[in-house]
Amino acid sequence: MPSATGKAEEQQERSLHALLPFLQTQSQTSLTRLYQRPSSCLPIFRLLGAVERQLVMNLLWLESSIPTATMSSWVTKEGKTHFDDALDLLTRLHILTNNVTTKLGLSPAFKSSMRQAITGGGTSVSFGVPAESDDKRHAPSIDALDAYALERWETILHYMVSSGTGQMPVKPSQGVLFLLQRNGLMAMNQGQLQITSSGFQFLLHTPHAQLWELLLQYLQMVEERQMDLVEVLSFLFMLSTMELGREYSTENLSDTQRAMLEDLRDYGLIWQRKASSRRFSPTRLATTLTSSLPPLPTATNTGGAQEQGFIVLETNYRLYAYTDNPLQTAVLNLFVSVRSRFPNLVVGAITRESVRKALLNGITADQIISYLTTYAHPQMRKNKPLLPVTVQDQIRLWELERNRIKAQEGFLYTAFASQADYEYVLNYARQLDVVLWENTAKRCFFGSVEGHANIRGFIERRTGGGG
Amino acid sequence: MDRSCHLSLIIDLSPSQWHLSAQPTNPHPLSFQTFLSLVLTFLNSHIAAKHENTLAVFGALPGKSTMLYSSLDADSSNTNDPPADANSYRPFKFVNTIVTKNIQKELDLLEGLTEEPPVTLVGALTMALCYINRLAHPPPGSVATETTTEADARILILSVSPDLSASYIPVMNSIFSAQKLRVTIDVCKVYGEETVFLQQAAHLTGGSYIYLERRDAFLQYLTMSFLPPPSIRHMMAVPRQDKVDFRAACFCHKNIVDIGFVCSVCLSIFCSPVPVCSTCRTKFPMKTLQRLNASRPSIPPANGVSNGSPRPPSARPSQGMSASLR
Repeated sequence: MPSATGKAEEQQERSLHALLPFLQTQSQTSLTRLYQRPSSCLPIFRLLGAVERQLVMNLLWLESSIPTATMSSWVTKEGKTHFDDALDLLTRLHILTNNVTTKLGLSPAFKSSMRQAITGGGTSVSFGVPAESDDKRHAPSIDALDAYALERWETILHYMVSSGTGQMPVKPSQGVLFLLQRNGLMAMNQGQLQITSSGFQFLLHTPHAQLWELLLQYLQMVEERQMDLVEVLSFLFMLSTMELGREYSTENLSDTQRAMLEDLRDYGLIWQRKASSRRFSPTRLATTLTSSLPPLPTATNTGGAQEQGFIVLETNYRLYAYTDNPLQTAVLNLFVSVRSRFPNLVVGAITRESVRKALLNGITADQIISYLTTYAHPQMRKNKPLLPVTVQDQIRLWELERNRIKAQEGFLYTAFASQADYEYVLNYARQLDVVLWENTAKRCFFGSVEGHANIRGFIERRTGGGG
Repeated sequence: MDRSCHLSLIIDLSPSQWHLSAQPTNPHPLSFQTFLSLVLTFLNSHIAAKHENTLAVFGALPGKSTMLYSSLDADSSNTNDPPADANSYRPFKFVNTIVTKNIQKELDLLEGLTEEPPVTLVGALTMALCYINRLAHPPPGSVATETTTEADARILILSVSPDLSASYIPVMNSIFSAQKLRVTIDVCKVYGEETVFLQQAAHLTGGSYIYLERRDAFLQYLTMSFLPPPSIRHMMAVPRQDKVDFRAACFCHKNIVDIGFVCSVCLSIFCSPVPVCSTCRTKFPMKTLQRLNASRPSIPPANGVSNGSPRPPSARPSQGMSASLR
């Protein structure tokens, strides 16, 4: 069963960003419209993998397209599959023009915008119009923006994690709730929003992955809300190229983009003094959209010296978490049985019950382990392997406990007239690789549901032909 | 996940060489202005590739070397901010403005100079290595983000000046430091003769050395050969030199020698047999000197395959000098 984190890791290995598959499904016309803005080309370029980026760069300054053979002579034998994949991806994104088998060339819109982005100049006004500096009201400091983004984001996560526990945390806005529901992270249950199993998995992802997951859902809802997808995307990309701590003017924005300001304010991507304000500042959540830097300011939980990691896990299953952050405590509560809480420390243990509770919520063992690894205390990083092997193995074993029975749908074939008949059909089924269980003494075997049509046809042909 | 990478660029800013390079009598004249705008485009491409990519630019000037830009200082130096502009990506604009301004400032300082001392390429190279070392080992206590410590670092030298044989030892030492830091040194010879030492630098650190033949295609050369970070070079091949000039410079007269004589104790290189090694004060027997002197012309100069490893002194009780073939 491939877990969600497993998929994410795979994607990272191939360095395929979550947004790229979404972009691939868009029509050529809308992509071409998107590529008209230099501020969209640059972030898309950054989302690509290293080989793709190099290919784009190699082609960027060429006036005419070149034969594919010329370019592939630059590729080593080991890089051949990578190169073909890259060409394939770039074609599907319509960054390369269509006939890649013979000639390589960037699509004109992408080429001219990318050139403009790199060299500067032009009159696209796509990188955001900075607001005039105002002597009376200063732009918010970076610290204030960080605090704001963190507060917004944690409100959402905290609401999710404590739904159904009876606590009443601050509710995020209606828009956010709707988005969470649509994404399947929360569901209505007896008139109340309850977190779902995919919601639990969501909580253990990195903030960067969480953010993109929500934004992708937002993008998918754009059409329903009668918004222009290209406008929405280019606004997101524009935000990602903006500078933290600077104010931008809303004057050049289209109506769609002004409507987005409200939504993005709820997610904590941008900050505005008040809803009618004519200027806005992007927060770190927005400016790191296309990078792998942590999108949320670190070291806010216990103040100062600490970096991201705060969890110490011992071989005796004891867990010490140096945090006073209610969100982190609540997330830990998902799979740790907490013994005692101090102002800056949570002490607990990983037990069979606590892990089983998490597993029942749909969280997988891999997710627990990857969460513990991501947030391990710097002291833990000296250990090799980072987490005690005993604990890791035990968590995996507890997961296996739940998977003792594997159900598989299929058909039982019995009452063969003779041993020869039985073996003949069995052989055929074996060739199809659909036999799940067999018993020669009883002359019966069990085949999976996929093979049924074939086997049935085979038997019918045989009995029909024989008699 | 592909990692961020650091690029330290060293620009050779020798006014006389650039003047020669811009002469219209050249097959493809390249003026410094054109060169600079192409280099800035290349730098922007490097930062464009990844949000976390870092950059440092060093200038090798006549008689001094200086840092022209560093992305570490970029955040703090808000005093000389370029005006915000909605048409360009700010980090790009920032690099362009700062680099151009600093080069102009340094070149203005050179105005009064009547005689041009040779450019201190080694100084710039050492500065670049120190900078990379600082990135790799952040001081304890500072908030070290993982991106900077893990970054792949490489150095690109854009050279126009000829080899300075006096700097043989410092160049070799820099190469060894680079090997130890696992820094790749790429060299692009933009104008002038091939340089022996930089060829060796690129070869020994696994970088690529390119002699710019078509100078009108400078940007394409830069993009295709020097933009790919070392981590993807096993997939996107970059040109390597097929022959490397391994000649060394002698320690006594700083000449590049075809046949050198190597001290069997400390491996110092000399252009002729000497009775006493100037480095380690080892005395050599008269007999050996005579033998070496006698055999000198008979050694064919083309027979240069072994790279001159002398016999270990313990193997022969009587110390002697060994002839080194390059």
